[in-house]
Amino acid sequence: MSFPSEGNLQRAIAFFAALGVGVAAYIAIAEAGGDAPACLAGGGGCETVAKSSYSHVAGINIAVFGIVAYVLLLATAFLANDLARFGGFAVALGGFGYSVFLTYIEVFKIEAICQWCVASAVLMTTLFFLNAVRLIGYGGADAALPERA
Amino acid sequence: MSEEDRRKKLMQLAAGAVFLAIAVVVALIVANASSDGGGDTNLEGAGEISQSLQGIPQKILVLGDTDAPVELIEFGDLQCPVCAGYAKEILPPIIEGDVKAGRVKIAFRNFTIIGPESADAGSAALAAGNQGRGWNFVELFYRNQGGENSGYADDAFLEAVAKGAGVRDLVKWNQERSQLGGEVANTTAEAQDLGFEGTPSFAIKGPGTDGLEVLGTPESTGALEDAIEEAS
Repeated sequence: MSFPSEGNLQRAIAFFAALGVGVAAYIAIAEAGGDAPACLAGGGGCETVAKSSYSHVAGINIAVFGIVAYVLLLATAFLANDLARFGGFAVALGGFGYSVFLTYIEVFKIEAICQWCVASAVLMTTLFFLNAVRLIGYGGADAALPERA
Repeated sequence: MSEEDRRKKLMQLAAGAVFLAIAVVVALIVANASSDGGGDTNLEGAGEISQSLQGIPQKILVLGDTDAPVELIEFGDLQCPVCAGYAKEILPPIIEGDVKAGRVKIAFRNFTIIGPESADAGSAALAAGNQGRGWNFVELFYRNQGGENSGYADDAFLEAVAKGAGVRDLVKWNQERSQLGGEVANTTAEAQDLGFEGTPSFAIKGPGTDGLEVLGTPESTGALEDAIEEAS
């Protein structure tokens, strides 16, 4: 089975992670300013989601956690060692899992869809697959980490 | 450690992480699926109500443009199941049409005839109105209404409705609702002065009426639309 080069995977991860930082930062900034993110096609889905209790964990907007996750993913894209490969995979897996949960909440609990949340979920899903391919294709491939004595 | 050993260890870790992630997500979904019944914003219809009222101005418990020429006034009791039926079936076409077009504004006024819980709920709705969420509160309350005086409309339920209605400052809402009992009593007295004996009861005023005109309880959207037409 042939994989894309690790460099290309890293560039793709950096690209999608940077987009994710932008999306999550927009949601966090809009909420911090007292507004909900603007739904591009109108409707109140974004406002409904932003005002639901699910939008905060321990008093912190979940978009802030999103920013942290995307920044970590961005960082792993600039390193070529097993720690970065597994770290990127683990963070993307967590983000992907949480996106699945939030999508379930939007559809079945809040009964509203926020386009920005969907955008973030799509980005996180893409990043999960890219990081999974990177880990499967290149995990253990070099000795960038120092071997234990 | 050889490259092959490192790879094997990484794959084992990854497989464990995947199983853990699946378990956590399934647990979260199962926990949330069984947590219906108040205490949170997951009341029935919160999203739908928010979307249907999106973009319509609200001032306390008045829905619609404050400059709208016709004012339709509903005297209702939040515990009243007939009122809930009106909120769900009779009023939405008027809100979608005349209210959104700026021709009519609808005022909800508390007429608490069922029990003490009605007054508490009415005060809570007024406090939500102070944060621009009065109609969201009223409609969400109706949508999740329980049995009359059955004790369901306790503080936890009212707070869940407030959250679901989008009330931002729950501390302020809590403080204000305890001070609005007088306002609820005033509108109840107003309804009695108008001769109303049941809920919902309607009155209307506009360019075509001689002051406030008592409508009673029109039994259909069409009857209310006729009254609006005459008042315009």
